Amino acid sequence: MPQPIYLDHAATTPVRPEVLQAMEPFYGSRFGNPSSTHRWGREARAALDEARERVARCLGASPDEICFTSGGTEGDNFAILGTFHALRDRGRRAVVTTPIEHKAILAAVHHAAHEGAEERILAVDRDGLVDRASFDALVRDDVAVCSVMWVNNEIGVMQPVPELAATAKGRGVVFHTDAVQAFGKVAIDAGSTPFDILTLSGHKIGAPKGIGAMYVRRGTPCEPLLHGGSQNRGLRPGTENVAAAVGLARAAELAVEERETEMRRLGELRDRLEAALLERIPDAVVHARGAPRAPHVLNISVPGTDSESLLMALDLAGVACSSGSACQSGNVDPSHVLTAIGVPHQLAVAAVRMSLGSLTTPESVERVAELFPALITKARRLAAAAS
Amino acid sequence: MRRRVLVAMSGGVDSSVAAATLVERGYDVIGATMKLFCYGDEVPDRPCCSLDSIDDARRVCERIGVPHYVLNLESAFGRDVIDDFVHEYAAGRTPIPCVRCNTFTKFRDLLRKADALECEFIATGHYARVVNGELHRGSDPAKDQSYFLWGIGREVVRRMLLPVGELTKPETRRLARAMGLPAVAEKPESQDICFVPDGDHTKVLARHLGADAPALSRGSFVTSDGRVVGEHHGYARFTVGQRRGLPGGHAEPMYVVEIRPATREVVIGPRHELLGSGVVARGMNWLVDDPPAVGDAVQVQVRHHAPPAAAEIVRLDDDTIELALDEPVSAITPGQSLVLYDGDRVLGGGLIEVSRRELRVVGGRT
Repeated sequence: MPQPIYLDHAATTPVRPEVLQAMEPFYGSRFGNPSSTHRWGREARAALDEARERVARCLGASPDEICFTSGGTEGDNFAILGTFHALRDRGRRAVVTTPIEHKAILAAVHHAAHEGAEERILAVDRDGLVDRASFDALVRDDVAVCSVMWVNNEIGVMQPVPELAATAKGRGVVFHTDAVQAFGKVAIDAGSTPFDILTLSGHKIGAPKGIGAMYVRRGTPCEPLLHGGSQNRGLRPGTENVAAAVGLARAAELAVEERETEMRRLGELRDRLEAALLERIPDAVVHARGAPRAPHVLNISVPGTDSESLLMALDLAGVACSSGSACQSGNVDPSHVLTAIGVPHQLAVAAVRMSLGSLTTPESVERVAELFPALITKARRLAAAAS
Repeated sequence: MRRRVLVAMSGGVDSSVAAATLVERGYDVIGATMKLFCYGDEVPDRPCCSLDSIDDARRVCERIGVPHYVLNLESAFGRDVIDDFVHEYAAGRTPIPCVRCNTFTKFRDLLRKADALECEFIATGHYARVVNGELHRGSDPAKDQSYFLWGIGREVVRRMLLPVGELTKPETRRLARAMGLPAVAEKPESQDICFVPDGDHTKVLARHLGADAPALSRGSFVTSDGRVVGEHHGYARFTVGQRRGLPGGHAEPMYVVEIRPATREVVIGPRHELLGSGVVARGMNWLVDDPPAVGDAVQVQVRHHAPPAAAEIVRLDDDTIELALDEPVSAITPGQSLVLYDGDRVLGGGLIEVSRRELRVVGGRT
């Protein structure tokens, strides 16, 4: 079989060599606990402080506004529940979000509802863009937190976060954005964009799994979910993962440095792939095509096929794609995102998400542009024979 | 080019050994676990079909070095198997959902997935064998599962690989240990129906039909001469031949001999009333190119594990078969399967419609 092609960068990315190198000392001689007062502790503390400063710089933030976490799910849960807990006794008991968030947000909102929150779901259009009228109507002064994902992980739609955050701020509402897919893809500056909390994940940008960060604007009301120590200013206690934090800082810097060139490169490759697939499969549907999209995501449905079979066939042919967010059991259900933007069931169950990134080359895109239509032809022939 | 096979893996010992055996034989193996129903809060962890079982199947595939996929066949399984199960009980019959799962889910829907993956073969952990393109009983009489496989397409049989059909269960467990699959080797046998949480099928019926459905409502126990001898809480709780839950005070042990959904009556009687000298089955499916004809002698089985009984075909058309049994057979139950054998060869089968107490005029209808 020819070299396998990894087209699932929105699921995870390989750890970059520079990142691995930066982390290495902290798995060796510099193993100290940053809370210790001795030399080993000080050394680790210095590395952690520096990592915090570097991540802060990447976001236009102050170091004290950066809190290291285990990743996107933790950050999302903290943003919803931590804020709701802090504000529920202050007349703000509603939680607002979109129907196309990651399950980490949707499940946390659901949990808040169990704890007495009023759950409000924003309307989105057929490309997944938040409906402004709905936003104006739902984000009122009884809302604790409003969470809108900056770049959607399944369809790539980019929300107008600066405008939405400004509107929320005007109503005293804490605004959170899940920027797990956005970081390194859009320019993020806490100084000019009034979001209050922002979630990052390391493994989407070439850092290891199990590390992430939150930006929490000074003065944002929120309570910790974990209790037990003063690390991360008490917001997220627990001995810090120093090595991974250093890795995250390095990966974040590289992503910011390379953002413009890499986005241009991926955008061109994605557009080329999209054009080739639409030319060879004229009735294929590319989701969120009418909205501003991040350049690394291509979500495509071909009528009369099913993503379950296509993903297996692609995998057996050496091409790794996804139907949306990866799930624990490896099970494939129609995506809640596609369902929410009104994609008909037959198309939703056919969706294949291709996500480009560091491993994507012009050659790999060319091969997928050949292979995918061939698999579609085969799948359709079988479907015709079966019916 | 290695020949590709899709193996249906439940996470149990039989399908795990099937997959491992096929790897050893040089096949290009792909493991697949079917997700067949929703693992809601109301369904506690089950030995089969649970998320844990998906994990077990995945671990086996990782161990033997083959890809593993989870296939979502929930909606088709709900329609073809669970809905039918509910409908059959409501009609006063006793269904075998495994038969329909084999017919529709495994050897039709899963086969389509196999086609999509360009698999020449489909394999399962069933104790049955394919001999010269025909379905045969498994080698282990205690485990033989051919009874559940009569409904599959004849053309599918040629594409089936059933590696454990040659083995006894202890041999399968031994092989599992020898192949380095100790975790599945010691797994308990799954006895119940996978989508029935605790062996209580009436909960499934209540969920689908409502707790006040006729099948779950009060009715009378009657004797075959029409006497009312008690009250029951729903005829769907009973099956022909059942003793548990019947009113006492009779000289002989009493059994359910018939269920009458129209009047919600459960007819009970002594053992001899269970005997049938004939049987009618519908939805016949033949698994051989030369099916038997009227007047031919065959062996039949009216339930799993029953000894084969000698019979003669007295009526036959495209859909229906009527057989005269050489010796009366006890507790022939509507909704169960009638499977015809010629020694180990499975000739075909159908769904039992009715048992005949006495053989009537050929062509007569009850």
